[in-house]
Amino acid sequence: MNLRESVGIALGGVRANKLRSFLTLLGTIIGVASVIAVMSFVEGLNRFVTDKLLNAGANVFQIDKYGFITSQEEFEQAEKRPDVTLDDAQALREGVTHAALVVGEAEGNVSIRYRAHVMKGVSIHGRGPGYDAVDDIQIAQGRHLTDIDDRERRAVCVLGPEVSDEIFANVDPLGREVRVGEEDFEVVGVTEPKGKVFGVSQDRFVSVPVHAFQKYFMQRGSFTIAVKSIDQSSLPLAEQEARNIMRGRRHQRPGQPDAFGLTTSDTWLQLYHTLTGGIFVVTIGVAAISLLVGGIVIMNIMLVSVTERTREIGIRKAMGARRRDILSQFLVESTTLSLAGGVIGIALGGSLALLVGAVSPLPASLSLPAVVLGLVMSTGVGVFFGSYPAVRAARLDPIEALRYE
Amino acid sequence: MLISIHGLHRVYQVGDQEVRALDGVDLEIEQNEYVAIMGPSGSGKSTLMNILGCLDTPTQGSYLLKDHEIARMTDDELARIRNQEIGFVFQTFNLLARADALHNVELPLVYGGVKHEERRVRAREALTLVGLGDRMKHKPNELSGGQRQRVAIARALVNRPSIILADEPTGNLDSRTGEEIMMAFERIWTQGNTVILVTHEPDIAEHARRIVRMKDGRVESDLPNAHPRSALAAGAPA
Repeated sequence: MNLRESVGIALGGVRANKLRSFLTLLGTIIGVASVIAVMSFVEGLNRFVTDKLLNAGANVFQIDKYGFITSQEEFEQAEKRPDVTLDDAQALREGVTHAALVVGEAEGNVSIRYRAHVMKGVSIHGRGPGYDAVDDIQIAQGRHLTDIDDRERRAVCVLGPEVSDEIFANVDPLGREVRVGEEDFEVVGVTEPKGKVFGVSQDRFVSVPVHAFQKYFMQRGSFTIAVKSIDQSSLPLAEQEARNIMRGRRHQRPGQPDAFGLTTSDTWLQLYHTLTGGIFVVTIGVAAISLLVGGIVIMNIMLVSVTERTREIGIRKAMGARRRDILSQFLVESTTLSLAGGVIGIALGGSLALLVGAVSPLPASLSLPAVVLGLVMSTGVGVFFGSYPAVRAARLDPIEALRYE
Repeated sequence: MLISIHGLHRVYQVGDQEVRALDGVDLEIEQNEYVAIMGPSGSGKSTLMNILGCLDTPTQGSYLLKDHEIARMTDDELARIRNQEIGFVFQTFNLLARADALHNVELPLVYGGVKHEERRVRAREALTLVGLGDRMKHKPNELSGGQRQRVAIARALVNRPSIILADEPTGNLDSRTGEEIMMAFERIWTQGNTVILVTHEPDIAEHARRIVRMKDGRVESDLPNAHPRSALAAGAPA
C-alpha cells in the first residue's frame, strides 16, 4: 500500500524522540560502523598492497639464505645454510632460460655525509644491473646504475630523494662526491619519490653497484637474488629452473629440503590474506553481536509500538486494511528505523576510517561495496527483527483491537 | 434485498463455558432504510453489529450482503467488503490521533487503492458535506467532540458504502451536539443511504424509521417507528 506514509510515520517517530531512537539504533549503528570502518581499512590496505608491494615486483621471485621464516627453530636451521653469493646469481643468470633478469642485491645501514651535512641510518642498497626494472624505480635526475658501473666496481651511487634533499639543500647533487660510510662515492642520479609505507619512508636510501657494495661494505654475508621471469606464465618454469640450479650448486640429494629460501609474491600475499582474514573474522563477530543486540532492541521497540497502537490497527482494519497492509506497514517502519541506523553507522564508520587515514599512515578508503553491505545488513536486521512484531500486529482481531484502551 | 440474515448464531467459548451471543437471528434490511437496533447490554446487539460490519463471522447461519455470502469469507475478503460496503461511525470516534482530518477521511480510500489526487478531492468533498470544509488540516485533538464525530461520518461516507453503521454515535457527546449528529445522519439517509444505528438510548433510536429490539441473542420485536423524531424538522438548519 502506501510506502510513503509508512516511511513518513517511521521517520516522524525517529524525529519525535531523538534520544530513544538513538538508543534503539545504537546496536545497529555500532555493528554497521565497525564493519564499514574495518572494510575501509582492509580495502585501503588491499589497494596499497597491490599498488606498492606486488606490482613493484610483478613476476619476480627472490632467493636468499633464509626465505620465509616464521619461528625461532626455522631461523636456527636456516642459519646453518650456506650463504647466497653473487656467483649463485651469475649461475642463475646463465642457467635460468625463462628469466628476463637476474639481479643480485644486498642491504645495510650507513651514515652519509656531504660537507657539514650528515645523515645517519640511511639504507644502503647494493644493486646488480637491471634492479630498476625489478623494483620499478624511476629516475628523476641523472641516470641509473649500469652494467659497467657494476663490472668495474665504480664508486658511484644513486640517492633517494629524501637523502638528496637533506644533504644537498639548494645544491645540484649530480657529479658531487658524498661520503658513504668510510668511502667517497660520486652521485650519478636521484630517484623519483615513492612516499611512505606504514610510515616508513621509501625515499631514504643510497644505491650503489652490488659489487662495489660487496667490496666496501660487506666482508662476509649473504645476498638476495631477485629473478624476474619473462612473463606471468613462465614464472613457475623460471622458479623450477632456479630451484634446480641452486640445489645442484649445493649438492643436494632429491628429497632433501632446499638449503636456501625461495619466496614469491604469493608467499607474501598468503601471509597478508591470513592477516586480513583474521581481522575480518573478528569484525564479523563484533558486528554480528552488535546487530543481534541491535535487532532485539528494535524488535522490542516495535512490540511496544504495536501494543501502543493496537487501536490504530483496529481502526485501519475496520477501514479495510488487510493483514498484509498492516504487516507491510510495520515492516516498513522497522526497516526504516534500522536503515536510519545503518546510514548513521555508515557515516560514522566511514568518517572514522577517513579520519584515521588522514592523520595516520594507515591507508583507508570508503568503498562502494562496504556502503552497500552496510545498507543490506541494516535492512536485513529491520526485516528480520521487525517481522515478529509485524506478524503480531497483522494477526490482531479487529474487534479486540478496536476495544483496546 | 440489501441485507438478508437467516438463522444467525454466534457462540463464544469463554473458558469451558459456551456463551450464545446470537441465538437464531433473522433480519432483512432494504436499500435506504433507517434502522435502529436496540437492546440492553448482553442482548447481542454488539455481536450483531460486528457481524453486520463484517468484523466478525457467525458460528452458524447465513448473512447475505448484496447477495454475497459473508459468513464463509476469508479475512482478506472481509477486509475488502468492509472497505467497499461498510462505513463505520463509532462511539469513541476512533480517528487516527496523529493524522489531520483530511488524512483520516482518506483512510478508506487508501486501502481501496484510490489514487492520491482523487483521494484528496473525494476527502475534501466529504468533509465539506459534513460542514468541516474549514477544518481539514486540524488534528483530532484540535477539534471538538461533535467535529470529531463529523470527521468520522465523512470518513464513513467517503467510499460511498452500502451501509452506514453507527455504534452509539452520540454516546460521548452532550445532548445538543448529539442532536446535530443525528441531524447529519438524517440528511445522509434522505440522500439515499442505508443507515443502521446501534444504541441503547430510546431518544436516539426514535430518530430511525424502524426499530429492531434485541433480547438474549434473539430479535424480540421488529416494528416500524410510527412517530419518528425528525432532527431536521425539529432543529436548526444544517
